[in-house]
Amino acid sequence: MEKISDVTCLFCGVTCDDLEVFVEGDTIKEVKNACILGKATFMNHKADVAIPRIKGKETSIEACIEASAEILSQSHFPLIYGLASTECNAQRKAIELADLIGASIDTTSSVCHSPSLQAIQTVGDSTCTLGEIKNRADLLVFWGCNPAEAHPRHFTRYSVTPKGYFVPRGKKDRQVILVDVRKTPSAKAADQFIQIRPGSDYEVLTAMRALLKGEELEVEEVGGVPISTLKSLLEKLKTCKFGSIHWGMGLTMSRGKHMNVMALLLLARDLNRFTKVVASPMRGHGNVVGIATVLTWQTGYPFAVNLSRGFPQYNPGEFSSVDLLARREADAALIIAADAFANFPRAAAEHLSRIPTIAIDAKESMTTKIATVVIPTAQAGISAPGLAYRMDHIPIPVKKVVDSPYPSDQEVLKRIIEKVRSKLQNRV
Amino acid sequence: MILLKLKEKYDIPIEAEVISPDIFFDKTHTELCGLPLYYGNKEKKLGEVFEVEGEKSDQIYLEGDLSKIKKIGFGMSRGKISIKGNVGLHLGAFMKGGEIFVEGDVDSWVGAEMTGGFIRIKGNAGNRVGGIYRGTTVGMNRGTIIVEGNAGYEVGSFMRRGLIVILGNVGDFTGSYMIAGTIFVFGTLGARTGAGMRRGTIVTFNPVSLLPTFKYDTTYTPDFLRVYFHFLKKQGISIKEEYLKGPYRRYHGDISELGKGEILEFAA
Repeated sequence: MEKISDVTCLFCGVTCDDLEVFVEGDTIKEVKNACILGKATFMNHKADVAIPRIKGKETSIEACIEASAEILSQSHFPLIYGLASTECNAQRKAIELADLIGASIDTTSSVCHSPSLQAIQTVGDSTCTLGEIKNRADLLVFWGCNPAEAHPRHFTRYSVTPKGYFVPRGKKDRQVILVDVRKTPSAKAADQFIQIRPGSDYEVLTAMRALLKGEELEVEEVGGVPISTLKSLLEKLKTCKFGSIHWGMGLTMSRGKHMNVMALLLLARDLNRFTKVVASPMRGHGNVVGIATVLTWQTGYPFAVNLSRGFPQYNPGEFSSVDLLARREADAALIIAADAFANFPRAAAEHLSRIPTIAIDAKESMTTKIATVVIPTAQAGISAPGLAYRMDHIPIPVKKVVDSPYPSDQEVLKRIIEKVRSKLQNRV
Repeated sequence: MILLKLKEKYDIPIEAEVISPDIFFDKTHTELCGLPLYYGNKEKKLGEVFEVEGEKSDQIYLEGDLSKIKKIGFGMSRGKISIKGNVGLHLGAFMKGGEIFVEGDVDSWVGAEMTGGFIRIKGNAGNRVGGIYRGTTVGMNRGTIIVEGNAGYEVGSFMRRGLIVILGNVGDFTGSYMIAGTIFVFGTLGARTGAGMRRGTIVTFNPVSLLPTFKYDTTYTPDFLRVYFHFLKKQGISIKEEYLKGPYRRYHGDISELGKGEILEFAA
């Protein structure tokens, strides 16, 4: 049995790079240091592997690539979506393809942290790396997120328990506060849990900003939280050495969305008048920050980008996948390294089954079930090496630990691009 | 006058910023028909998508279901666009002057970031009426928008100057992060009206639920309202007698920001 160390896990976004994977031939036998999600990702690498097919009939990868190139070269308003569960070199190829065929290119951010990205574009983000947080943060606030279940090793690797340079006693030197509409399993790690009324995050954060300015409010409570509790939370934030506020879907998926995140970012910014405070989104879905980084590098924008006219246009609500599909505008779709059908609202998902859809995925999913063409690929981080970006934008190399019978996402996209290019040239 | 009649409605949206008095005013009929429209990754000629009558005019009349036609009147500075039908995204965005009239509904971003001109919509509007695109921190800066139907969220968000009047209902975050300017809402309002307001005036004739960062000042009838009511009457909008009389409850906020915005709520 072979032991491979320093293996990177691409499942949740924490991007742990300390996994030990034990391999025998082309099978993973054991995984150490991973959380329950990461372990399942590696141990089940052979489960539900996708079968190459066109209109339900099994065929060769080559035939699937040809069929995909034909679909994409004929389309006028195609959509390329997903890309969170693959590595950066493949993501770069997807952008090249989008540019070649004049597609809209969108990522899973669109249905996740899109509001956060929009908020950051408007008011900016006082932030830092997870390494800084591990070594400096003595006050952690988790607002509308549940790391215990969504990012299992975040607490132990970065934010609650590890001993850091300026927090040598680990958890004993830290205070952890959880703010949410319900008590989640993450509350077990918290010293204080503040319950707020659902849909009132904007009111609470705005009230805190006003209180921080020294304003008095004419109400006793905001969002079900007594003013005295908010004042004491502010006092903790003002007097810590290094505060770190983390947020998730509790803000992005509740009424207000990007406005909720803006309020949190402005609060973090305002607190820097008193001490050092950063805000850090709990990004997830593997390498979603990778595609945001690569897409921003190449087009200037992190998601919902349209290249139809030969230059990038960015507009969530116009070029985001759910809208392009629900309004029945996209005339072809390439879904890669994401399960759009399972996660989109019904109107959008239905349109995917109406138009020619290509699914590129290591595994069978709801999307592969309805796709016109299915191309299985080597799973990034397991059978395909490359690069990923952690939730705090740190690039981390990704290893291959076992072989796969299928080519990588990067390879498949490269071959589709070659075929599309020749088809477009021949047409002229 | 130039008349454009939509021949066929497509599923794929068309970007049509060439439909602008600034571009049409000196074009012959042939030149007009040859102007480029963008249909996804393909270019279509204006004459392919519309029946075109007339030439060399900055008065444009459009007819048809234009709900998939985007960017009409984009950045225009003169002339007039009259539309009979629904219209797609970005109508009159970045407008500098001239007029747009629509007998129908319009999609989001109508008059976004405009700096002059006059827009009147007889139907409903989408989101971000007179609003902004992402990353902008100074939005609409002069100009007038009147929507006779309902509007969505973030009407006049980050507005710097100008007038927006919604006769119907509005969604959440009306006037959010307003820097200055004036918004009238005659219908009902959504949540978080005036969120992040710096300066500016929001006038409401229905009860408005306010953030905890707004504070009551006084109840009175400000004189300047009469100037606006007079202007609105001249546009053919009837104002109830009681609104002319007042009084109005005045609140200031958002005190988490500059907080010199005012919300005037008609005191029934």
